[in-house]
Amino acid sequence: MRTALRCAILAPLVGAGCSRAHPPAAVEIVIAAASPLPSDPTDPAWESAPEYVAALLPQDLVEPRRLTPATTRVRIRALSDGAIVAFRLQWADATKSDLPGASRFCDACAVQLPAKSEPDVPAPQMGEANRPVEITFWSAAWQAAVDGRGDSLADLYPNAAVDHYPFEAPSLAEGSAAWRDLSVLYAPARALGNPGAGPRAEPVEELNAEGPGTIVASDRTGSRGCGRWSGDGWSVAIARKLPAGLSGSARGQVAFAVWEGSHEEAGARKGRTDWIPLALGRKP
Amino acid sequence: MARVSNWQIGRSMSYWYPESRPAKQFAAVFDINKCIACQTCTLACKTTWTSGKGQEYMLWNNVESKPYGSYPLAWDLEILRALGPQEWRGREYAGRTVFEAAPAESRVLGWRPEDLDYAHPNVGEDECAGSIERGAHIRIPHAAWLFYLPRICNHCTYPACLASCPRGSIYKRPEDGIVLVDQSRCRGYRECVRACPYKKVFYNPLTGTSEKCIACFPKIEGGLQPQCFLSCIGKIRLAGWISSPGAARPENPIDTLVHIKRVALPLLPQLGLEPNVYYIPPIHSPLPFLRQLFGPGADAAVRAYQEAPRDPDLAGLLALIGSTERIVPSWKRDGETVIGMAGDGTEIVRVPLREPVYIRDAFDAKYNVARVNCP
Repeated sequence: MRTALRCAILAPLVGAGCSRAHPPAAVEIVIAAASPLPSDPTDPAWESAPEYVAALLPQDLVEPRRLTPATTRVRIRALSDGAIVAFRLQWADATKSDLPGASRFCDACAVQLPAKSEPDVPAPQMGEANRPVEITFWSAAWQAAVDGRGDSLADLYPNAAVDHYPFEAPSLAEGSAAWRDLSVLYAPARALGNPGAGPRAEPVEELNAEGPGTIVASDRTGSRGCGRWSGDGWSVAIARKLPAGLSGSARGQVAFAVWEGSHEEAGARKGRTDWIPLALGRKP
Repeated sequence: MARVSNWQIGRSMSYWYPESRPAKQFAAVFDINKCIACQTCTLACKTTWTSGKGQEYMLWNNVESKPYGSYPLAWDLEILRALGPQEWRGREYAGRTVFEAAPAESRVLGWRPEDLDYAHPNVGEDECAGSIERGAHIRIPHAAWLFYLPRICNHCTYPACLASCPRGSIYKRPEDGIVLVDQSRCRGYRECVRACPYKKVFYNPLTGTSEKCIACFPKIEGGLQPQCFLSCIGKIRLAGWISSPGAARPENPIDTLVHIKRVALPLLPQLGLEPNVYYIPPIHSPLPFLRQLFGPGADAAVRAYQEAPRDPDLAGLLALIGSTERIVPSWKRDGETVIGMAGDGTEIVRVPLREPVYIRDAFDAKYNVARVNCP
């Protein structure tokens, strides 16, 4: 007991000592003002926002659990022009995983905010019933598609050989209604409008969730994203509408998740943060 | 986890969801003794369902050689190795199922094949360590035999794919027990690919969703057998409905083959999924291998099949297989004739108990030509 008490007394002193050598760790994400907002995560404008380093925690709520996430921390900066809030997520990742395949998983990240601005926030892991969260999800595979990678097997497996697809029949004019019908006949996910199934114009997807396993596509629009891999990690900018309750001195909450494709992280197998306080910084 | 009953392992077991059997359960019997691995079934499925982009490597139906062939590579060896020893005490399985052996963080014990594991549809095809003129130069357990194992989704009573999906994108239809992946909901996490021990769920990298055999449900709904059944050259496949053992009806062809004659057996029942494709085991393969693949009923099934020439009911049912595109929910034998009927008793098909055999002279003097008599 005495030893424990001594440690408890000493701990703040040690912390105070450290603070002289290093800036104190941020306790909240402060959104800096910027206009226009940078769309590229490597834009120097991001440096005007303070950095928050978030620990990525195990996903220990539902199976399949991920008790030791491959990524342990993500560095966050946030900017806003008053209508849009943009987050930049940076994490170390020596392997760029943006090529989907039967056994290949892709890097990804997500930003999560409560759907409603309330003092009592929903559960941090995907919200809970009747207390939804809004998620903006970015995928390295979609980024590669937006950056120009084609929508064919050869784009994923360069040495693959394909004899023929039914929609390539000579009698079908490319782009005709019959051609379009046949091209989705063997792609039921596209025929049904699964938002993740087709070539994408944006590398991000807007989702709603009320607990693990409940995410559905949102009817929100306007989110943007851009990811760049530098050789030692990802920088991803995700911009979405500024939450309604976030103004003046009011605080919001935000959470993040990172998936490491080379470690087969997908879905519930991820590293995620707890809720992190989110505040608007003073205008310059 | 819930406790559910699994008659194939003779005991209750743990499963992610409570027991909820469909009104009818789709089932099939494959007579392995008649399969020649012509792959017509594989092509019928391929052209019907998986001719699109991202589906190139998928074989919802495949035929592999046993003991060495497999698709994807080593699908059976991998899960058997992961599961460890699988001991039976009589008809009761004393080992662990893939649900009971699940690691702490998962719902199912599984593994995920690599891309290259799908690259060859049947590595080991037609390989047997058969005797040649000077005899085999190595000694291995499975000398000089092979058989063909046609495989589709087993539309299991306790699907591991369904149990593993964290967002409930896989469902088992209450009306017919067919297991489907909801293509509008799937997000391609591939938990199902990892969990299905039979490796019959496939990831489509161009749509980002997982896809699988749908038992040709539009045909099933119309009272027709799936494409791979219809196209089978060897007439080895019979589709229908299976009852629980206690409710087995002799007039139901599947019930008779599985529950009454016990000549058709589930594939790797010890995994615990209660798969609903039942195999008549190959009678010329070693029983230890058949027991591992089909469970403790293998010995009796082989004996029953060998007795078929003296069992007119069993012989009659075997004659019925492949005789019509229609699903035959009911049947009867009338002397030397076997009759397949619809649920209301209407006759669908009538076949002879034994095919008539005509033997011609080996040399046709009229046309001055030699002829070969093929059975």
